[in-house]
Amino acid sequence: MQSELAAKAERLGFVMREYGADMVQAMIILVVGLLLLQFIMRKLKVFIDKKTKDSARANTILYIVYILLLVVIITSALITLGFDSRNIFRLIILGALALIAILLALRPYLPTLPFKVGNTVKVGSLLGVIEATTMVHTRMKTFDGKTVFIPNSKILNDFVINYHFTPTRRLKIDIPIRYMKDILRTKQLMEAIMIEDPRTLLKPARPVVYTLNLVDGCVKMGARCWVENKKFWITQCDILEKILMALDRENIVLAERRKAIRLFHETPLQLSGDVGNPDIETPAGQAAPAAADPSFSAISDDDEI
Amino acid sequence: MKIAEALKFIDDNWVQKPKGFRVCMQRRQGSEWVTDYSPGEKAAPLDSDVTTWRLAWKLAVSKPLREGEPREDDLVNIYVVDQDNNQVDYYATGEKEIFNVCTV
Repeated sequence: MQSELAAKAERLGFVMREYGADMVQAMIILVVGLLLLQFIMRKLKVFIDKKTKDSARANTILYIVYILLLVVIITSALITLGFDSRNIFRLIILGALALIAILLALRPYLPTLPFKVGNTVKVGSLLGVIEATTMVHTRMKTFDGKTVFIPNSKILNDFVINYHFTPTRRLKIDIPIRYMKDILRTKQLMEAIMIEDPRTLLKPARPVVYTLNLVDGCVKMGARCWVENKKFWITQCDILEKILMALDRENIVLAERRKAIRLFHETPLQLSGDVGNPDIETPAGQAAPAAADPSFSAISDDDEI
Repeated sequence: MKIAEALKFIDDNWVQKPKGFRVCMQRRQGSEWVTDYSPGEKAAPLDSDVTTWRLAWKLAVSKPLREGEPREDDLVNIYVVDQDNNQVDYYATGEKEIFNVCTV
């Protein structure tokens, strides 16, 4: 037992005497090289960020430079250790070619994220700009300033809307007005407001107003127009404000949603007629239930007309 | 008349689409009145009349007109114009509107 340990120690001592200096040199090259690499990458990132605003291109350049420098550092360390430089280069070239071949062959089968850095996307209920992607997660900056790390697995299994591919969006504003109000005048006002806005587009379709529905005690008018993606939200807010102001000027009153509630009793009750809301029939002596639903959203996000 | 011609006729003669908006105002400098714009005439105009009217209102309330003669750097006769310097109707009232009205 002792003789085995002594033999091992002697072999180790021999290796250290023979190759110790080379190993220390290689280690120094590796450590100093990696520190230098970090420093160079930081400086390069600052330089590239100044030169280009395309963050996706900048990241690609940084990745390529990083990989090349890393290969140089590791190769230098291996050569210092005594490895044959020709064999190392052959190995590197073979490895690179094999990697490229595998990636090209598997590319159609590899799950890829449906966006690039810099795209504005909606993942589930999150809307924002993609800042970075890694193998594990995607970093998104939402428009209210939050940085969200989304697991890539969730992105691949969820609905993703990428606004980068479509420069325009259809703006949709639904306004409920009361029965018997001037529908044609409402249409004219809404259409004129959309047309006169410099941000609305004539293509793919001109601004248009529909009489959408007759439900919940109101006539639902729908304004539709196309705007650039970047101006979508503010244009929607502005047009809604102008429509509300214009309708108010013309005494066209917005309708609240109403529900008719009928109370049935086993024994007939004498009804007192209209109490409060004319759509609600209440038994005599009882208070009218709160039937009107005050919640109303003029802007909805679904895609149906 | 073809549909395309009809649409062009409507575009040319019905509601006009301004290219941009600016706040037009007058400022007293010494004994003279100077007309100024925001954004300036060389800068790109704003594409929202709502935003431009809001800017005009904020300029007006930042230094409301006091009684008597306007003083140096007072902003008077503030309103919104389009790219051709035509006064734009205030969307809230549907009429011409001028903030800090002052006879110059």
